[in-house]
Amino acid sequence: MPKLIKERVPTPERPVEERVKDFGEVNLGYTFELAVKEAERCLQCPANYAPCIKGCPVHINIPAFIAKIKEGDIKGALRIIWNDNTLPAITGRVCPQEDQCEGACVVGKVGQAVNIGKLERFVADYARKHGIEEELLCEFEEKCTGELGKVAVVGAGPAGLTCAGELAKMGYKVTVFEALHKPGGVLIYGIPEFRLPKEILDHELAKLKRLGVEIKTDHVVGKTVTLEELLQEYDAVFIGTGAGTPKLLNIPGILLDRIYSANEFLTRINLMKAYEFPEYDTPIAVGKKVIVIGAGNTAMDAARSALRLGCDVTIAYRRGEEDVTARIEEVEHAKEEGVKFLYFVQPVEFIGDEKGKVKAVKFEKMEPLEERDSRGKRKIRPTGEYVTVEADTVIIAIGLEPNRIISEEAGIKTNPNGTLVVDENLMTSVPGVFAGGDAIRGEATVILAMGDGKKAAKAIDEYIRAKKASA
Amino acid sequence: MGYKITAKEDLSPIDYFVEVEAPHVAKAWKPGQFVVFILHERGERIPMSVYKAEDGKVGMFIRKLGKTSLQLYHEYKPGDELWSFVGPLGKPIKVKNYGRVAFVSDAVCGHAENRATLKVMREAGNYTISVQTFEDREKVYPTRFLAREVADEYYLTTLDGSVGIKGHYLDVVRELIEKDRVDVIFAGGSLRNLAKLAELTRPYGIPTYATVRQIMVDGTGMCGSCRVLYDGEVKFACRDGPVFDAHKIDWEDAIRRNYERFSEQERLAKERYLEYLRAKGVI
Repeated sequence: MPKLIKERVPTPERPVEERVKDFGEVNLGYTFELAVKEAERCLQCPANYAPCIKGCPVHINIPAFIAKIKEGDIKGALRIIWNDNTLPAITGRVCPQEDQCEGACVVGKVGQAVNIGKLERFVADYARKHGIEEELLCEFEEKCTGELGKVAVVGAGPAGLTCAGELAKMGYKVTVFEALHKPGGVLIYGIPEFRLPKEILDHELAKLKRLGVEIKTDHVVGKTVTLEELLQEYDAVFIGTGAGTPKLLNIPGILLDRIYSANEFLTRINLMKAYEFPEYDTPIAVGKKVIVIGAGNTAMDAARSALRLGCDVTIAYRRGEEDVTARIEEVEHAKEEGVKFLYFVQPVEFIGDEKGKVKAVKFEKMEPLEERDSRGKRKIRPTGEYVTVEADTVIIAIGLEPNRIISEEAGIKTNPNGTLVVDENLMTSVPGVFAGGDAIRGEATVILAMGDGKKAAKAIDEYIRAKKASA
Repeated sequence: MGYKITAKEDLSPIDYFVEVEAPHVAKAWKPGQFVVFILHERGERIPMSVYKAEDGKVGMFIRKLGKTSLQLYHEYKPGDELWSFVGPLGKPIKVKNYGRVAFVSDAVCGHAENRATLKVMREAGNYTISVQTFEDREKVYPTRFLAREVADEYYLTTLDGSVGIKGHYLDVVRELIEKDRVDVIFAGGSLRNLAKLAELTRPYGIPTYATVRQIMVDGTGMCGSCRVLYDGEVKFACRDGPVFDAHKIDWEDAIRRNYERFSEQERLAKERYLEYLRAKGVI
């Protein structure tokens, strides 16, 4: 039995005063020595029991890969992770580990949970930098014959890319159709550079190309090409179009200038690099005092991005601190960097100046009740008291819903909220058309989308095999 | 990646025509829909109306207005490539036999849509009326780029009267209405005049559809930049439009949002680019 070490080995981070001035990555990750030291904290629960494996949406054999780190066998660790997750450099950075693997960790019951996320990231980063990944990739490459059939994937986000990668490894020829000019989906337009450097994503995309996956950007399925056309050319289709349509507040003043959806704000900054305007052509217009409405990961990303543009930023949330939905690390980073929080306030009106620019937000104060809702959050009720807070820029980050372009064009059955209806094999109402990720979940996480992509790949493989057998 | 420019020529001292090889877009495009292009890796996403889409090529009318349109004009020639070209986006207009259909336009994108729309309307059996307004004789496009050939009835107007009828399309529309000569009106161009058109036709109950140009990023409903108030509800011009019932649009907000939101940045980028052109001796 290893000795229990309650305290985590800290990961180096860039100092606050330095990092708020640019968009470079905040957390620097473990070095080899630090990773081995942290790996030694793992109690090595047996695989049939390990709560961390159960807590992981794609069931990575966590104790096994951590054991390999302890041995210094990074290639072995990566091989284990790749069995279930081919994008560990990404998930290691963006998963809400505290709600998943780390939240279930036995060590966490008495001290700090093993830092599984950072160890996963370490394996991916170390393997990439030291040519280890390349060796492993060569082993995979041989299997990617593309001979089993042709599959079209719609949307180059986490679900689509995972599905494409899995199918390619099985021996399918995969073409991914992406509406934007760059692949990545939320990984490129949503998550900022300081949390997920674009070079990491570029590397993962290059990996997919090595496996024979073709990505066609500038193609909006449902507009440029119809689903029916795809079904004529491909044996099956996977839809991973995400939840890309922003919810806006239906309150007076929503059309005032400098009120952005978080999607617009983040897309301008991340995808279009508006923070480098005029070196890059896409502009962004912000004032000095920004209010971000909402307290999820997107709200934190928007708030910290605004901070890096030199703004004073306040997050306004209708619930309390305990119900903030963002990853703990992001909330901590936001606080360290100087983002302020205003709780129990619900916006009721945006107030504009004579030029049509927002100048203040009127909120109704909310009060918490003892009762909790189905998600375990405390219910809140309006108090009838109002407070007006000055702001010259507002970013609305209250959630997203699926884009309906493809479901409307192809007549795929949807739920009232726009999510696609799927069966237990993730097949939609259109035979041969599968879906996963936020397109079926509404709004979830990168890892759940990837889990769906993987599950759908298996179902697609079975579907095509059965179809070809009966033909 | 890369979409080859196959033709480029002047329409007037302020507007030009560009044609791009983009078979994926040309095949699917229908009148009413638009495209989005990016010039180069550091470029912005620019939504643009379509003049025609045939033989795998998409033609557009562009005004030398901001940094991107100036750069495309001065630095790109046939054979060069645009970095990104996506579409068709937005909803096509409903093509059917309305009876007497007019398209009125007073600016670059509107002129592109004028010909494109009336061409299909005529094919659908409509009597087509085209009205195109230019500032003065110098700004009038070469005849083959006008909507004359697809119109059963054609009016060219200039604000100063140097060629054609003196006045604006609004004056011609007023006359058409008074003589009960039009059943439905489509329109494109300056938002301020589209707003006036909506007020002009409203009392007569003449269905009026206008292309509501708004600042966009993705053009697929992802960012909400192009939101407009339509019949009291928030709609996205890219996804729910860009052609809307002109009588239901809140024009004041639409006009302000399109012209003011990034005016400071747009001015800065343009000045900086003009400075660059001057330094290179191009202008």
